[in-house]
This record gives sequence, structure tokens and C-alpha cells, in this order.
Amino acid sequence: MADARVWKLKDAAAGLRPPPRPVWSTGRSALDARLPGGGWPTASLVEVLLGAAGLGEIQLFLPALTQCQRRADGEVPWLVWIAPPHEPFAPALAQQGIELARLLVVRPASATEALWAAEQTLSSGVCAAVLLWLKGTDDRWLRRLKLAAQAGGALGVLFRPEQHRFESSPAALRLLLTAGDEEPHLELLKVQGGRPGPVECAL
Amino acid sequence: MKSRAVTPATADLFAAAADGATAGAAAEASAQRRPAFAAPPPLAAAARSRSKHLWYAAVFAPLTEAQPSAAALQRLCVHAQQFTSLVSMEMPNALLLEINGSVRLFGSLERLHACIDAAWARLKLCAHSAIAPSTLAALWFARSAQCVLIEDPGSLASALAQLPLTCTGWDAERLKILRAMGVTRVGELLRLPRAGLARRFGPAAMLDLDIALGRQAAPRRVFVRRERFRERCDFEAQIDTVAYLLKALEPLVARCARFLRERQAGVQALELRLRHRARPGTRLRLGLASITGEQRRLTDVLVHQLSRLELAAPALSMELVSGPLQPLSAASLEVFAPLRVAGGGDSAPQLVERLRARLGEEAVYGLCSIPEHRPEAAWQRVRELSLEPTRRRIPAQSRMHELPEHGMPRPVWLLDVPVLLAAPPVQPPQPAGLILEQGPERIESGWWDGRDVARDYYIARRTGGARLWVFQERQSKGWYLHGVFA
Repeated sequence: MADARVWKLKDAAAGLRPPPRPVWSTGRSALDARLPGGGWPTASLVEVLLGAAGLGEIQLFLPALTQCQRRADGEVPWLVWIAPPHEPFAPALAQQGIELARLLVVRPASATEALWAAEQTLSSGVCAAVLLWLKGTDDRWLRRLKLAAQAGGALGVLFRPEQHRFESSPAALRLLLTAGDEEPHLELLKVQGGRPGPVECAL
Repeated sequence: MKSRAVTPATADLFAAAADGATAGAAAEASAQRRPAFAAPPPLAAAARSRSKHLWYAAVFAPLTEAQPSAAALQRLCVHAQQFTSLVSMEMPNALLLEINGSVRLFGSLERLHACIDAAWARLKLCAHSAIAPSTLAALWFARSAQCVLIEDPGSLASALAQLPLTCTGWDAERLKILRAMGVTRVGELLRLPRAGLARRFGPAAMLDLDIALGRQAAPRRVFVRRERFRERCDFEAQIDTVAYLLKALEPLVARCARFLRERQAGVQALELRLRHRARPGTRLRLGLASITGEQRRLTDVLVHQLSRLELAAPALSMELVSGPLQPLSAASLEVFAPLRVAGGGDSAPQLVERLRARLGEEAVYGLCSIPEHRPEAAWQRVRELSLEPTRRRIPAQSRMHELPEHGMPRPVWLLDVPVLLAAPPVQPPQPAGLILEQGPERIESGWWDGRDVARDYYIARRTGGARLWVFQERQSKGWYLHGVFA
């Protein structure tokens, strides 16, 4: 019963906190400080709402992606990018330290197939992180993705356009990334176990 | 007492097994039944066991023109495998059988010879056969239609001497030269000085002679029958929904998995054929990410492929055909794989083939980086993914230093085609709405393959925050967007 998801009552009686889930650092101390556990949570879904492409949204997750490939003892886990908006540039990823031999790019024909692929990869248990780009999706599918991420112990990241910010979402963490006057602007919309609000950090 | 009761029965069993395939000879065999195992081996047999190999060669009169001789020979090979497991093809029209191992089973060499000859006669094939201790000698005797049976390698040279040189199958040019020299028989050739012959005709001819005389070993490729799983299932009623097809497919896949398990083999491709009334059949080709014989994985892939299928017409029957069988490697067995993390339970090959089965082969790929200066040519899609679990060998820190040192960082997104930016004529030259932050980095390369580039790359920031990778073409002075830092 040494499962992080099970919290035994006798531990509570003994005054023990539930064991913390492993988290991956965001590489930015200002952002780490605002997130519960001090980094991106594993086994859950993170939703990023984008004002435009190219605001540094990958830079937010790159430290976590390289960490989870590097820190895993033994087998190198897979990273999956589903329906990315452009072609990921292999030399850049290698430059950032990502193990290219363990990167899978999936280009589904439709949004439903993308969601299906995301669910499969998240729950498979061989992927450490799944990045998914979508135009729009319904609440029910997001809930399925969240459950799949919990089952597979993977970090699921969903990128969606900014216009979905007022829709409800089961994601544990919601971020809004928009173009600012000079620098891109990052705001935490929803943090389970934390405080939402804008974050001052260089991207 | 007991052993005596068993021995003749065993001998019978073997005789039956030997003749089982040659059903016509069964009566003859029972008439002159010999207790092959009860009697001590005769002296001749003991002497024979000392000579290592005994080759039976059969040369067929030109096989029918209608069918390609290779296919016909392969079928004859399968037929010949009832006599020995070592059957070898000699193109275009001969077979070589190693029969030393089968002599005891058939009683005597003469009987074995007769049995094999009878097999060709029953197929209505005209064949010449010979038995000799070396492959080429047997072949040459058979080609010259001399039905001989030579067991002693020492007497080979004298027996071969009478053969005409045409039976060697050498090219016409060489035979013509030899005829001009007055040499028409093997014996006359053997009398000539070896060094001169080697100089004149090359080492290949000498090797042939050595092999024929048994001085040189000549390993031969053994014919192995190629196996495939192939089974058809006819439906009692026409099936027009995919769900029923899946149900009908289950026992077929189970049998396929058993077939593979029995042979310790796996497949990487499967084909499902559906037959319709008055309509061409449907063919579904399935690829697996790695060699497997597991029923669960085969079913998984078939189910996903079938769920994408739209039946054009009701199906009458279906047939499951496997690709060529491949030996299972230890890596594809999952016995020693470490226990996986919570949930899931998939392996990477399973995951990839499930994705490919539903999304299509092209939709799932990996990336690799190529040491090239031109950004377009510096990466490639990888279809053949290395799916075996790998352990990190080199610490990531040292790998970082191995990477080519770029002066400037590279963008995460690369556009398929560079987009032309509107650039107002200002001094210093700068694209509209962008602030150049870093650069230039000149990339000038590719003159050798016609896709040469001469560009100055800059990192630019768009007002609002997005960082872009832009370049100015050196000739046209036009500004292009080529990548996005995300």
C-alpha cells in the first residue's frame, strides 16, 4: 500500500502529512514559489491558455521535460507531443537537453483523435509528460485526460487558445499566458492548494 | 523380454513413418520388412558411417515451361524433405540431398535410393540420380545420366574420369578452350598440371575440381520451408457490422497466436482479407511496432484497425494471413521487464502500434537531429523508432558538451516554409514591428545540392513579447520569418 494516492487514516492520527508527490521544477524560482509543492505537479493535468504562439510556453516546461528524462532511474521515459502547431525543431530540443530518441510526435487528423491519443499516452505509464495542443474541447474529455494522467503518473499539459479562459476546467492548474506591453504576461487562474494571481517572472 | 516385445514394434513404426509419405511403397516395405534396429549394423554400414557425407543428386529434365523453375524446385524440396532434413537446391533444375543420416532409417542405401527415385516417378517427373560422397561429383554423375552409387571417396577420381566435361556446367567459353586443347573428359583434365590450369582458368575451376574430388568441403545452403499462418473462416450468414466481425475474428487470432507460440516465432505484419459477394475483396494491412506473437497485442491492433473500417458490403468470409515468421528475441519477451509504475501496464511498442493502428502509420513519428548548417536540413522525421527500453549511458551533462556549439540559440518551432515579412525601406534595415535582439548569424551553405542558402539570421522580438527567428536573404534583401521561440 505504498501508493502516493492512498492516504491512510492512521498516518493522519500520527500527525503525518500525505507524502508529497514528486514535482518538476519550472526553472524559475518566482513561479516555483507560487506552485504547491514547488513545481509542476506530476500525475495531473495542467492547462495553459495562450494569447498567441511563441510567448515562451515551451520554455515554461522545458526544464521539467529534461529533468524527468534525466532523473528517472534506469529507463528513460518518453515525451509525447500531440498536434503541435508547427514542426518541433530537433536541433533546438537537443540543444536544450531533451533526449530526442525518446520523443514521440503524434499528428492526429481530428481533435477527437488527438484527445484519444492523449488519453492513451497519459495512461500508458511509459510516458513522463504529454503535451497536447487543442483548439477547443469539452469538460468531459478534460476530466478523462485528468484521470488518465493520474493513472499513468504522467504530467499532462494542455495548450488552448485564450478564449477558453472562462470555461470550467477540471485541470489542477490553469495558467494564462498573454502578450504584455514588453514582456509576456503570466497569470495563475486556478491553483489547487495555492493562490491564484499574476506571476512576475522572466520567460 | 519386455524390450524384445517393444523393439520390432518400434522398427515397424519407423518403417511406417518412412513409408507413410511414400504410400505407394508401403506394401513393398511390409513384404520385405527388415528388423533394422534389432540386427547389429552390418560391416558396410559401419564403414559408411565413417565417411562423413553422402550426397544424392537428382537432375530433372527441364521442368515445365509454364511455371518458374525456382517455385517448382521449392515444391520439390518440400517433397524431398521426407527423406532427409538437409535438402539443397541447385539452380536451375537439380536437388542435392544429404542422405547419410537417413540410411539406417530406410534399412539400406539401395532401398533409400530406390525410395527417392520412386518419389519422382510418382510425380511423373523424369529425373536422373546419382549418389556420391561429394556434392559436385553426385551432381556431375546425375547430369551425365549415370545412375551410380559411390560410397568410397577414394574411388571418386577414377569414376569421375570417364565423365564428359559438359556435365560440369561450366560456361561455354571455358569448355571451348578446353575442347581446343583436346580435353573433353574430366580424367583428361585431372591429368594436366595443376599450376598451369589454375593460371589459365582461375581458382574457381580448381575449387570445383577439388570439391568434386572431395578434397575441399563445400557447405551448402539448406532449404528451409517458409511458413506463414493462414486461415480462413467462412460465415454462415453474411456479416455487415464490424462488431460481429470482431467477434468472429477472436478464435482466428487465438489460433494465430498459438501457431506462433508453437514455433517460438513472432510476426511484424498481418493481413486481414474480407470477401464480399460480387465485389472485390477488402484487404487490411496491419503493421506492428515490434515482432510479437502475443494474442493480446495482435487483438489490440486488429480491433483498432477494424474500428476505423467501414464495410462497403456484407462480408462472406475472412482470412487472416501472417507476414513472414521471425524469431522472437529475448528483448520482445516481457518476463524480466521491471514492474511498471502505477496504472497503465503498457509497453512502448504496444503504445506506438495502438496509436499507429488508429491514427495511421504516418501520424506517429520521432525526430532526429542532423549535423547540418541549413535549418531545413538539420532535422528529419524518424519512422523506425527504437522502442526497446534504453538506459542512460552518458550523463546528460557531458552530452550537452558534445552537441555542436551554436553561436545563437535555435527556436523550438520551425516553419515549414519561411514566411516573407513586409519590410519598410528604413535605415538601418529592419522588418516592420520587430526589434532585432541578437545577430546576425550568417548561414551560407548547400551549393552542392541546388538548395543553397545565403542568409543572415537574427533573433527578433515582436512588440508584445513573442520571440522570433528571422533572416534576411543576402541577395534579395527580403526579410523572412523562419522560426518561433516558444
